[in-house]
This record gives sequence, C-alpha cells and structure tokens, in this order.
Amino acid sequence: MYYIGLVIEYLKNYLKTRLTYRADFWVEVISDLLMQASNLIFIFVVFGHTNSLGGWSEAEVIFVYGFFMIPFGLFTCFVNLWNFSDRYIVKGEMDRILTRPAYNLFQIFLENIDPPGLIGSLIGVVIMIASGSQLGLELVWWHFPIMILFAISATLIYAGIYIALTSLSFYSDSPTGILPLLYNIQNYGRYPVTIYNRTIQFLLTWIIPFAFVGIYPASLFLGRTEMFHMAWLTPVMAIIFATIGLTSWNIGVKKYRGAGS
Amino acid sequence: MNAIEVEHLSKIFKVQKSRAGLKGALQDLFSRQYNEVPAVNDISFSIPSGEICGYIGENGAGKSTTIKMLTGILVPTSGKLNVGGYVPHEEREKFVRNIGVVFGQRSQLWWDIGVIESFGLLRKVYGVPEQDYKRRLDELVQRLDLGDLLSRPVRKLSLGQRMRCELVAALLHNPSIVFLDEPTIGLDIIVKTEIREFLKDMNRQYGTTILLTTHDLQDIEALCSRVIMLDEGRIIYDGGLDTLKTRWGQGTRITFQFGTACPLPKLQALTSDLAVSWTADNDLHAEVLVSSDLNVSDVLAKVVGQPEITITDIKITETTTDEIVRQIYQTGSAQNNASDGQVV
Amino acid sequence: MLSAYTDFIRIRFLTMLAYRVNYYSGILIYMLNIGVYYFTWQAIYGDRGEIGGFTASQMTTYIAVSWMARAFYFNNLDREIATDIRDGSIAVQFIRPYNYVLVKMMQGFGEGLFRFTLFMIPGMLLALILFPVRLPSDPIAWIGFLVMLFFSFLINSQLNILTGLMAFFVENNDGIMRMKRVIVDLFSGLVIPISLFPGWLSSIMQWLPFQAITYLPGSVFTGRTTGTGILDVFAIQVAWFVILLIPIFFMWRAARKRLFVQGG
Repeated sequence: MYYIGLVIEYLKNYLKTRLTYRADFWVEVISDLLMQASNLIFIFVVFGHTNSLGGWSEAEVIFVYGFFMIPFGLFTCFVNLWNFSDRYIVKGEMDRILTRPAYNLFQIFLENIDPPGLIGSLIGVVIMIASGSQLGLELVWWHFPIMILFAISATLIYAGIYIALTSLSFYSDSPTGILPLLYNIQNYGRYPVTIYNRTIQFLLTWIIPFAFVGIYPASLFLGRTEMFHMAWLTPVMAIIFATIGLTSWNIGVKKYRGAGS
Repeated sequence: MNAIEVEHLSKIFKVQKSRAGLKGALQDLFSRQYNEVPAVNDISFSIPSGEICGYIGENGAGKSTTIKMLTGILVPTSGKLNVGGYVPHEEREKFVRNIGVVFGQRSQLWWDIGVIESFGLLRKVYGVPEQDYKRRLDELVQRLDLGDLLSRPVRKLSLGQRMRCELVAALLHNPSIVFLDEPTIGLDIIVKTEIREFLKDMNRQYGTTILLTTHDLQDIEALCSRVIMLDEGRIIYDGGLDTLKTRWGQGTRITFQFGTACPLPKLQALTSDLAVSWTADNDLHAEVLVSSDLNVSDVLAKVVGQPEITITDIKITETTTDEIVRQIYQTGSAQNNASDGQVV
Repeated sequence: MLSAYTDFIRIRFLTMLAYRVNYYSGILIYMLNIGVYYFTWQAIYGDRGEIGGFTASQMTTYIAVSWMARAFYFNNLDREIATDIRDGSIAVQFIRPYNYVLVKMMQGFGEGLFRFTLFMIPGMLLALILFPVRLPSDPIAWIGFLVMLFFSFLINSQLNILTGLMAFFVENNDGIMRMKRVIVDLFSGLVIPISLFPGWLSSIMQWLPFQAITYLPGSVFTGRTTGTGILDVFAIQVAWFVILLIPIFFMWRAARKRLFVQGG
C-alpha cells in the first residue's frame, strides 16, 4: 500500500515536471515511435526478399513484435536504468537514496519513471490485433489472462537482466556502463530463434533470455506448438531472473563505495 | 541512553593501483593490483542522546566515510555500530525513519519542481501523517523564514535559500538523530549564524542528537559541547572544545597593514602587559597572535588609536579546525592527557 | 597548442583502458551481433544466390566488417556533450583556451584509437575464426577501406556532436539521442545493406549522410566497389564531412549565444 502510494506521488511529480517542459514530452513520444517504426522497417525489408524466416510468415513475425512491445513499454516506463551509473554512482545520488526509508531500487525506478513508454505497449496491442486478424487467429477466453501473465513475466525477465547488469556499476565506475552494448541484443529475441545456431539459441534462451520476452511467449497465441513448452516456462524464467536481478543488486548495494569524499 | 555507539569501526577501501604510462595501462587491462586503504581505522566512541557533537578533521581524514557508515550508506569492513537502536546497514529502511541527513554539497530536493512539492513527496516517503506534517512544516517555515520560497523550483534558489530548504527536507519527519555533513559550507555569515541558531534551538526543544562535520571552528564553537577529531582514519582527540582550543588552538590572529612604517619593537612595547606574540615581514605589515584567554578587543585597543600609527587594514582570523589538527601533530600530542578531553 | 589537443587523445586512450569490463563484454557482444545477423541472413538467403546485388558470402563479410567498423567508430560524444550541457559544466569550457567541439573530437579519436587496436582488430580476428569471412586480396581495397573507415569515424562523430548540442535547445534530449542511435544503425546500412531497401527508400538514403558511415566503406571491403569506383564513394564521404561542418558551426554559434543570454 505504502509503495502504491509512492508510485502515485512520484507520477504526480513527473507530471508537474513534464508540464514545465511540454515540448520534450512530445519529442520523447515521437522518438519512441520512430524507434519502433525503424524496427518494423527491418521486418518489412527482410520479407521483401523472402516469404518465410525459418518457417515463420511476415504476419507471424510482426505479431511477435507486437507482443514484444508490451513488455518493452512496461519496462521503459518502470525500469529506466539508463543513466544509473552516471547519475547515482558517479554523481553520488545513491547516498541520498540510501538515507530514505523505501527500498532503494524502487526509489530509483520511481525517480526515473517514464510514462510515455506505455504508448509503445498500446501500439503493440494494436499491431497484435492487426496482424492477428490478418492471420485469422482464434483466441479463446483464457488466452487473455495468460497474455497478461506472460507480458508481466516478460517485463520481469527484461528487468532482471538489466538490473543484474546495472548492478555491475557498483564495482566498476565506467560512466556509460555496458547497457548500451545490450541495445541491439534485446531485439534478437523477437525473431524465430530457431534460425540461429545452437550457441546463440542457448545464449538467448538461458543466459540473456531475451527470447522469453518475444518469440517464446508469443508462440502460444500463434499456435506454434513446437514452442509451447518454452512458452509455459516464461513465468518460471521470470521468477528466476527477477531473483537473480534483485540478489545481485542487493549484493552490489553492500559493495557501494560512495562517490568522492 | 546513547544515541550512537561505535566500537572498533573500520572501513577499508580497495583502491586500484594504476601503473604509469601506456605499458602500465595495458598491463592493468589484464591484471590489476590493489592497495588497501583504511579510510576509517578502528575507531570507538559513543554519543549520548541530546548531545551536539562536532566531528572534525582535514579532508580525507575519514569524516564522511564515518558519517556514511553511521547513516547506513556504507557497510563497514569491521566493527560494531548502533545508531538509535539499529544497526544502520542491516535494517536500513526502518532505521532511516529516525534520522535526518544533510549533505552540504548535494541536494536532496527535486531540481525542477517547487520546493513544496519536494516536501510533499518526502512526507509520503517518510509516511508522516498529514496533520503532523502541516504543524511541523509551519513551524520550520516560520523558524527558517521560508514563506515565499516554497513555490519556487530549487534551481532558482540561492545557495543559502537552498540550504535552509535542505534542512527542512531533512527534518520534516522529526528525526531524533541528525547528521550534517558540512552544513555551512559556502554560505555567507548571516545564513551561517541563522542555521547555527536554528540547530541549537532544535536541540534544546526536541533533544535532537546532532553529529556534524565542518571545517569552520565557529560552527563548533556555537554548537558543540564535544568534539571528536579524526586524522588518517583514527580518532586523535575526543573531548570538550575548550580544552582543545586552549591547548592547541593558536587563538586569534590579527593582521595589520600600516600606512607608514611601524617597526616591530614599537608594537611589542605597546602590548607589553599582554601575553601576545608579534611577527612582521616588514615595517608595513605585522601579525599578532592572541591566545584564547585574552580579549581581541584589548589588543586592538592598545594599537588602534595611537596617533603615530596609521592603520590601513585590519584582518582578524580564527584558527580553523585544520590548523588545530596540524598543531596537535607539531606539539606531539600523545603526552597531553587532560582530564576532560583526552588525546587517544 | 597542438600538443594540448593530442594530450586529449592520449588521456582518453588511457581512460578507455581503465574500463575493462566494458572491453571484455564488448568483444563478446559484438560477436553475438555478427552471429545473429549472419544466421538471419543465412535463413533469408536459403538457397538463393543473390539478394540486392550481394552474394551470401559477400553478405557474411559485409556483416562482419560493418559491425567491426562500428566497434571502431562508435562513441558516446552525444551523451557526454549533453551531460556537460545539462550539469552546466559547459560554461567552464567556454573560458578555456581551446575549442570545445574540437576537444570532444580529439577525445572521440582517442577512444577510436583504443577501439581500433584493442576492440576492432581482435574482434575481426575472432570473427574470421567463427564465421566464413573473406578478406579482400586487393591491396587497393584495404587502403581504400582504412581511409574510408577514418572518415566513417569523422562523420559519425559529427552526427554525435550535433545530437549532443541539441541539449542546448531542448531540456531533455535522451529521446533524440536514442532515435539517432537507431537511425544511424538502420540507415547506415549496418542492419540492412542500403541496396536491399525498397527502391524509393534506398534512393532517399543515398541523399543522406548515414550511408557514408557503414555502407560505403563496407562495399569497398567486400569488393563490390573497385578501382576508380573507390574514389567516387570516397568523394561522397569527404563531401558529407565538409557539409556537416556547416550545421555544427551554426549550432555552436547559436549555443554560445544562448548560453551568454540565459547564463547557462
């Protein structure tokens, strides 16, 4: 209850700040949309040269992309660790966070909350509906609660990966961290992972499991039975990776050295 | 009851050794060497509830590291720690509800929104009931004279205004223990005095325990009944301020600039009945050291107003905490064991 | 004066050496990038011989060399400049006896040197082992590629500087920086070679500076552009380098004005 109250309070503050800088709000929304558009362009270009990617049709791949946008939007909104190293470690704002009576990671999430990200989730839903109807998908009632469960699970997996990697900033004081390097990799779980070789499949399934943010959970709704067993693993992976993320974060906080004097 | 208890507390940082030059840097890429640097080295002290204690030392002496351990930001390498009944780093989120922290060089307010919005948010974070918050805020706003600043965003405040707001932010939840890291740094004398008065009142009224670090001896003089002095991570003095000042303080230094030549013997003759020592670089410039048991005004009275001396400038400088630390070293501190303040 | 600038190169090179976590993980992640695109294109080619003028084998080489070129020319000048502007430290830079933009360029070059010797070259060797990459046999292609690679760095850094300076005019340019990153990766031909885009799109992209970053040097390395053709594509790069100096100049001037009027 306390934490829900905080979310609302921080959102209010977000809005107050944003109202001062209205132009930025729209720049951000538009840039988010362009980013998604450029990813779609890749899919369109690829399917301009082939009818199937590892046995998956264009509409199917676009459906997967639509699904992916839901957890991605949730993640962008609530788990924005982009500037963590620079702002909280190098500039020492972590000191302030640690002297406040709420869980430190949660405070960081709230301070960087980014609601425009949710627009991406909405567009994802629209894309799913469009490509789903093109495919003539028939969804049954239980698909909907499962879709919510999978979307939340995928968000947790996403968050877990990023939290674990961000917690490395407690050891290394590199200003940018390694997050930018991950930027491209997060896209790869949206394509049929079976086209990759075993090593990369293994990597995207078990080590940095971005496949669980895209292709695996979405396969359930597409009726791609060959991946059903992986789809149902999504919530399990969510628990595992959220735990890994939080544990490595908590260990990192203990190693926090403070900035400057 | 002790508000703060510290036993054999140490914090050791591993610092990477950088080898020199390009070759060294390449070697560092593949294997790293570390030095262990003790920032705080086996210190023990306790502070009773309701005491205002000054925590002083030169830069890098370990003051901030100690404060960060006491507030739960850093995890100690070894030693025992109890602040307000908690081990800070273990039950951080419960513990910090009882403390207030101000870092002089860092803001805890939101940069872009009105100060009052920050306060409102902190109220939620600390879970302060609406009515308590209103009462407390009114009191603080009135006491620190913030009335018309509340709606301004922090980025539009002056340093002095911001610091007063920082104090409010740290005290809204009425903490029983307050940590202040250089609260008066960079402020002008009027704001400094205001803040000192405010802290003293708060201590009297609520029995708040205060631990503050500072380089400004006047902060200590105005506020602290007790001083803990740190050097290279160890406590070198723990006791009353008076003892510290009379034994190691150099008193007050008055610097004169003369319009016409005024030789040293003449000045010494003028103050012959006072135990002061004069030094001079040349006939136009002289310094006198007034120990703390004498009045500065007595010395001035002897020199100023002499018809044959024209003074163009007078500067009065107090000993800083840094100078006292240096002095303790020069006089070989270990022998000086006083009853109410001991060098350890 | 010149030695002051070269010092910025040296210091950045040494700074980069200090961040080894980035460095180790960087090589692995770039291999993963190459791998993913290699297999994706394998799947797209199937048993077809040629797509958009690329044979399957040329595509493999193109992907590897494009990603490794990115390992060299990539930098975070945009982010650094935006941070300097937002925390106000840019004001100090104005009173220093050097040109801030030039200093940033030098720092970027120091980083580039590090990336070239310790990131791109080892990465390329690893890529040669892992994937069927074919190196050019013609020495002209090598020389042409290396010279053009340097201009890739220049043009990419210019775009980064422009993006970074935007922070003077919008309060939060994170969105713009993210957008730039995506656009450069897509329109430079890193993700998809320009010739594979639909006709209308690829003809638009030929009029944009992005292709000069990846696509043009890549086409020299893969042997799709040879002989005097190399000079032609190089001329396009040089032209873009010169053209991009103009907006930087005007933006910098506007930024100075803004800083002096608003007081940071």
